[in-house]
Amino acid sequence: MQERDHLSVEGLQAGYGAGLVLKGIDLAVPKGQFVALLGSSGCGKTTLLRSIAGFETPRAGRILRDGAEITALPPDRRGMSMVFQSYALWPHKTVAQHIGYGLALRGLPRAEIAARVAEVLAMLGLAGLEGRKPAALSGGQRQRVALGRALAVRPDILLLDEPLSNLDARIRLQLRGEIRALQQALGITAIHVTHDREEAMVMADRIVILDQGVIRQDGSPEEIYNRPNSGFVAAFMGAENLLALEAVAGDGGVRLPASEWNRALPLPGLRPGPVEARFRAEAAVLQPVDAPEAAPGVLSLFGRVTGCSYPGGCWRLSLRIGQAQVEALAPMPHVPGSAVRLDVPPAQLFLFAAPADGRGDTHGPRTVPEPQPQRSFR
Amino acid sequence: MPSPALPRHRSALPGLLLVAPALAMVLVFFVLPLAASVTGAFATEEGRSLANFAKIADLYLPDILFTLLVIGLSTLLIAVFSLAIAGYLTLGRNPRAVALLRWLYRWPLFIPFIVTAQVLRTFLAKNGMLNGGLELVGLVDPATASNWLDGRAIVFAFVWKQTPFVTLLVAGAMTSLDRGTIEAALNMGASRLRTLWDIVTPQVAGTLMTGLILSIVTMMSVLSVPMMLNATAPTTITADIAFRINAYGDYGVANALGVVSLLMTSGFAILYLRLGLKERT
Repeated sequence: MQERDHLSVEGLQAGYGAGLVLKGIDLAVPKGQFVALLGSSGCGKTTLLRSIAGFETPRAGRILRDGAEITALPPDRRGMSMVFQSYALWPHKTVAQHIGYGLALRGLPRAEIAARVAEVLAMLGLAGLEGRKPAALSGGQRQRVALGRALAVRPDILLLDEPLSNLDARIRLQLRGEIRALQQALGITAIHVTHDREEAMVMADRIVILDQGVIRQDGSPEEIYNRPNSGFVAAFMGAENLLALEAVAGDGGVRLPASEWNRALPLPGLRPGPVEARFRAEAAVLQPVDAPEAAPGVLSLFGRVTGCSYPGGCWRLSLRIGQAQVEALAPMPHVPGSAVRLDVPPAQLFLFAAPADGRGDTHGPRTVPEPQPQRSFR
Repeated sequence: MPSPALPRHRSALPGLLLVAPALAMVLVFFVLPLAASVTGAFATEEGRSLANFAKIADLYLPDILFTLLVIGLSTLLIAVFSLAIAGYLTLGRNPRAVALLRWLYRWPLFIPFIVTAQVLRTFLAKNGMLNGGLELVGLVDPATASNWLDGRAIVFAFVWKQTPFVTLLVAGAMTSLDRGTIEAALNMGASRLRTLWDIVTPQVAGTLMTGLILSIVTMMSVLSVPMMLNATAPTTITADIAFRINAYGDYGVANALGVVSLLMTSGFAILYLRLGLKERT
C-alpha cells in the first residue's frame, strides 16, 4: 500500500490584487523529506510557503496534511512551525521566553517547559543566553533563537523562509549544516525557500525550481544539476554559457555543421532547427587550438580570450566564440587576444530545442531524462 | 587650504535670531500666564499664604477625588477599547469588517466636546434612547428608570470622544510593527487575542501610554462635558474653577484649583516619563 503524502499541494493558485503569483502548483512531500523551493525573486516561492503556513489565502487549489484538507484553516491551527527571513523575534521577550512560548501555549507545566527550553538551548548552542533579549544577540544567535522557537514544539513540518539570507557567509555555511543535521536527527519534514542554488543543493533531499508561478523542474539535487529539463533550469543551476546553434539534417542524421568557430557534432535524435546549447564555465576544458582532436561527442569550440581574472583557485577567462561571450576556467592565465579551443564533454553539454519565448522550455532529445528508479527520500 | 573656523559668537547669533520669535511667543503667551496663575494661587487679601489651598481642602477634596476617579476610569476604558479596535484593525481576518471599522471609528474625532455632551444628554437622559433601548429588552422598568446623567455620563463622553484619538495612534504603531512578529506568534499556535496581548500590545505600549497621557491632559481640561452631563455633586475640577470665577470672582481659589489640576497632570506625565526611561534601560 502506498504511503500517504505528509503534505500535498494540489492545483494551488494565489496572487495579490489582479496579479496571479502561483499559477497552479502541484507538490507532494513525504514525511521526513527536506524540500528546497528554489527560484529568483518574484517567482512565487515565498507565496507558496506562506500559503502552506496559512498566511496567504489561495484563489484555487487545495493544501492537505496527511490527507486532511487544511486550505482554509487559520495559521494557528495548522501545527507547522515557520522560521522567518527577518527572524521575527519579539523585542520584549527573552531567549528563554521565545523558545518556551509555543510550549506555554500548549499548556505544558512550567517544569516541563523549563526542561525543554534547556534542551533546545543546549542543542542550538545558546546555553547561557536564555535571559537576553534579541537586541543583545548577534545575527547568528538570533537565527538560532528563531530556529529554537520553531523546533521547541517538536513540529512535524518546518517551514523555512530564506532563514540564512541575512547572515554573513561564514555563519551561513555553519548554520546550513546545523539545520540539515537537526532536520535529519529529528525526522522533520522541511520546506525551505531560498534563492541560493548552493544552499539548496547542500541542504535538500529534493529541489523544486519555480519560475513565474509554475514548477519548472522537481527532482533530487543531482538530477536537477546534471539533467536540467529546460534552458531556464540549466541557467539557474549555473550553466550560464549560452550558444545559439542550428541543427541540420544530413547524411547519417541530424548534426551541428562545422563552422569557423566549432567542429561538426552529431546530434542524434534532435530535430533540425534552432538549438540552445548551455554549459558551465567549469565544465569546459581549455585546449591549445592545435591540440589533438577531441573524443567523439565532445563539442569543440574555437575563440579568443577577451579577459582574464583571478577569483581564487583558478583563472576565469572570458572568451568570444563566434558572436557569443562565454566564460571558462583555466589553471593558467591567458593573454587577451590569444586563440584557444574549448572542449565541452557531452555529459555537461545541455542542448534544448530553442523555444519561441527564449526560456528554453522545450526539451531536446538529449536532455529528456531517462527513466530513473524511484528515489527514496526517507 | 582649510578655511579658518568662525568665531563661536558669530555662528550662534543667526540661530538665536531664528529661534527668538518662537521663544518669545512661548514665554509671553504660555509661560507668563502660567506663572501668573501659579503666583495667583498663593495671593490672598492678607498677602501670600496657603489659604486658597486650605479652602480647597475644605470644599473641594471630594471633587478632586471624583475627578481622579472619572479620569482614571475613562483612561482605563479608553486603553481597553483602543487596543481592541486597533487590534482588530491589525489582526482582523474579515477585510470588509476591517474596512468598515477603519472608516467608522474616527468619526468622534471630528465632533467637538460640547456637541458630544449635547448628543449624550439626549441619549443618557431618563427618557433618553439608552433607557428606551433597555426597556425594550426588559432590563429597565420605565417606572423606576433613573437617568445616567452623573459621573457615568462624563466617563461615557470622555471614552466616546478620546478612544478614536488613542486608537489612531495605537493603530499606526501596530501597522509599523514587523508583521513577522505577529505571524510568528500565530504560527506558534497563539490565538489572535493572545497575540494581541502577548506580542502586539507590549510593542506598542509606549505609543499607548503617550496617547493616554495626552488624553488625560485633554480630559482634565474639558469643562463642557461635566457642566452639561453631571447635574449633581461632586463634579470635576474644571466645573469648580468656572464656578469660583463666575459666581464669586474668586481668582485665588480658581488659580489654586488650577495648580492642583496641573500637579495631577504632571503626576501622570512623570509616571509616563519614568516608564519610558525604565523601558529604554
